[in-house]
Amino acid sequence: MRVGALVVLLLSLPAVASPQTVRPKPDPTHPDIIVSRQLAESEHLAVGSIVRLATDPAGTTSREFRIAGVYEPTPNPSRLGAVPREVRMHLPDLLNLIRPPSQVPGTEYVSTINIALVDPNDAAAFSRDVNARMPGVVARSSSEAAGSAGPFRVLERFHLAIASVTIVAATVFLLALTIMLVEERRETVGVLRLIGLPIRRILLQILLEGLLVALAGALFGLALASGSERLINAFFQWKYDTALIFVRITRDVALTCTAIAVPLGAAATVVASWALLRRSGLRLVRR
Amino acid sequence: MIVDAQNVSRLFKMPAGPVVAVRDVTLQIREGDHIAIRGPSGCGKSTLLHMLGCVDAPTSGSLLFAGQDVSRLSDAKRSSLRLKQIGFVFQRFFLLPMLTARENVELPLSEAGVGKTERRTRVTELLDYVGLSARADHRPSQLSGGEMQRVAIARALANKPQLLLADEPTGELDVATGEQIAMLLDRVNADGTALVIVTHDQALAGRARRLLMMRDGAIEHEATA
Amino acid sequence: MNAVGFAWRSLVRQPARAALGVLGVAAVGALLFDMLMLSNGLVLSMRDLLDRYGWDIRVAGGDLPLQGPRIRNASKTADTIASLPSVRAALLLRIADARIDRPSGPPLTTQLVGVEVRSAPGRATRTSPPWTIVKGRDVNNAGEVVINTPLSSASHVAPGSTLTLRALCVAEREALPPTTLRVTGVAEFPFSGVDEYVVGGTLATLKTACGGNVEDEVDLLLVTSNGDADGAAAAIRAAGLGVNAMTNDEVVGRFQQAGFSYFRQISSVLTAVTVSFAVLLITVLLTVSVNQRLGEIAALRALGFSRSRVVKDVLSESVLIVGTGGLLSLPLGWLLAAGLDDILKAMPGVPAELHFFVLEREALAIHVSLLVLTALLAAAYPMRIVSRLPIAATLRDEVIG
Repeated sequence: MRVGALVVLLLSLPAVASPQTVRPKPDPTHPDIIVSRQLAESEHLAVGSIVRLATDPAGTTSREFRIAGVYEPTPNPSRLGAVPREVRMHLPDLLNLIRPPSQVPGTEYVSTINIALVDPNDAAAFSRDVNARMPGVVARSSSEAAGSAGPFRVLERFHLAIASVTIVAATVFLLALTIMLVEERRETVGVLRLIGLPIRRILLQILLEGLLVALAGALFGLALASGSERLINAFFQWKYDTALIFVRITRDVALTCTAIAVPLGAAATVVASWALLRRSGLRLVRR
Repeated sequence: MIVDAQNVSRLFKMPAGPVVAVRDVTLQIREGDHIAIRGPSGCGKSTLLHMLGCVDAPTSGSLLFAGQDVSRLSDAKRSSLRLKQIGFVFQRFFLLPMLTARENVELPLSEAGVGKTERRTRVTELLDYVGLSARADHRPSQLSGGEMQRVAIARALANKPQLLLADEPTGELDVATGEQIAMLLDRVNADGTALVIVTHDQALAGRARRLLMMRDGAIEHEATA
Repeated sequence: MNAVGFAWRSLVRQPARAALGVLGVAAVGALLFDMLMLSNGLVLSMRDLLDRYGWDIRVAGGDLPLQGPRIRNASKTADTIASLPSVRAALLLRIADARIDRPSGPPLTTQLVGVEVRSAPGRATRTSPPWTIVKGRDVNNAGEVVINTPLSSASHVAPGSTLTLRALCVAEREALPPTTLRVTGVAEFPFSGVDEYVVGGTLATLKTACGGNVEDEVDLLLVTSNGDADGAAAAIRAAGLGVNAMTNDEVVGRFQQAGFSYFRQISSVLTAVTVSFAVLLITVLLTVSVNQRLGEIAALRALGFSRSRVVKDVLSESVLIVGTGGLLSLPLGWLLAAGLDDILKAMPGVPAELHFFVLEREALAIHVSLLVLTALLAAAYPMRIVSRLPIAATLRDEVIG
């Protein structure tokens, strides 16, 4: 569970009222806040600055705070492109700021509560327990909170669909290329057949060659992917001024790609050769 | 005079050092000539033939074709020369496998811009001339070696060239088929086309009126029948 | 035989290879086509949705409609806006969550939308609420509502029957009494998600469902101008109401910056990748094909075929493969786009009527241009090979080989 709403509320503050910078006062009673790097840069704020925050444009209920630090916000993929102008403060300070005059202190509410368990594996059981004991409260483990239709699951399916199409196209081209490459060796294969080598033996050799080439190709592909991973991340991090990682080649990804590419490459070579090997040696050597 | 070659040489720059394939050859080819060029492998016969046919350019010397200095011609003009004035017959036939015999013969005609009706007539004539009217719609894979070479000869004659160059035309044929090709080439020459044949085949060379013996890139001697 | 005819015969000579080349281009071309539709698809679709009901200005408390704080003193704000000379009418829109209890099964969580039109006295208004009736009739009075089709199916409620819901208006902590409402029709709500349930009615109905004690706040004001949306938006901003007025174009622009940019980026990246992929592979296909026919090409050159002619033959082959594959890629791309659109629309919060892939003339034109470029680029290297082919050396090599 996450204190998502608190962060959202804090995010909304700068949109409502830009903090006003006043001359720094050496007053230790100003509550401390920290601001995002992007907010500090856009409003020329520094550690030690005193700012006034309000929840309305007229600033009628404003309070002063001291900037105790500047932080790099955790990149939020769902808000890509939006500049994270954020302020974080202690909860009591926020409640004091947003409480309507008519509300009794202590009767405020929060939208969510994040809980760190001693044993994270207990998350599901803990959630069930809380749901059973506290009606009106919904407890979910963090992974459940994403939901099966969460944006990133959807994007994952989207990416998978595109990857599938790419693999299909690559397979088609691969088959075309291997047919041509095998055709170039038809005389050699014809001679081997005329000499007396059985089809199985020639096929095995072709398979081994295909595996070798496919493996080399897969490794080259992974090296290319690693290089472009760096380039893509560098470009988009610069473009969106974020620390978000856009492309990550994990061990699983590398293994999956290799597991698809190598058999595909080897199979394409064998399939392309099979049609050739069905012809007689004499036909193969004749121009 | 069709070809006037004066002291032509051809030098190839190789990694191991320059190789002189043709050395100071002087040769004239006139209308109706029947010339055979013989010599051991690597003596420069084919290189000389390529230069005579404007496929390759001499490194030195002068080569005039129908009075034009070949070295001064652009690639497009040389191509046009080969298309309309020279015919080539190769040892390996080089017919296009995806075209029929008729279409192979038609190729140079359509490239020369000859109209459809005239093309059809000419192709029929040529196939008849080489005795392959019945195989006009067959692909090269359906023809024997001799038949393929006859189609190649028909193709080479498509635009009524002044000069026909044949590089080992019977090299891939058996004796009997080679004899048929030799008779066909005699007929071509008798009908007015100058003929230059590069060959190892003594019998084929013996049919020529001029026999040039080459060795080490030069014409060693010339015999006239 | 002209170059195209010659190229066709060359391709047909190796039917398996040619067919695979064409299919490969079709598959890659389909993806390319989809990326081009995606690059502007969201923008076009969003604009269409925004323009659909004639409301050409959105007024919100935050930077984007329905994001940020509510508009306070909503009635006064709406009246002030409606009285501007450049404005025809303003529609107050407020959204609350609600739960509908069912005899069996878990309660249905639904959105309750309340709207009210304001216009200056004497101004004729023919405005429509932000929904389209598909069955029954629209609401006329307080206490009447329309529901969307998914809700009608899930709750088995049809026009003429009633619906009881429990609104959650201020915070999820409130336990308001249930309210029974009369369903007059089934409507399409263009901004509702695929599986979302929506109930629409008047603002008064919503306030009643919220217990009557609701502050004068709305989530959004929809405004219709008198034809000059930009002028009307400027007038609203100048009125100093402390709200954010955006024309539909400006809304789309902001969504482009915030939410849509990922799709533009991925579209650009994948467009570049697919074109590179296609160029690389057609280049290899043609180069290998040319290298296998060097003897033939040298023979044709020896026979008198000009350099430009043999180059044109290679280019024609490229054009034929890419052209045929490109044609096939259009229906394939269309089918693929439908599938990808379905995947992406499963994203939470995405309106059911919003499409990620939209066919427009510009996308088609760019697709064709890129395919032409692919054909040219792919043929460049093999064309170079044939144009620089040493005729004599090649003929000699063929004999030796």
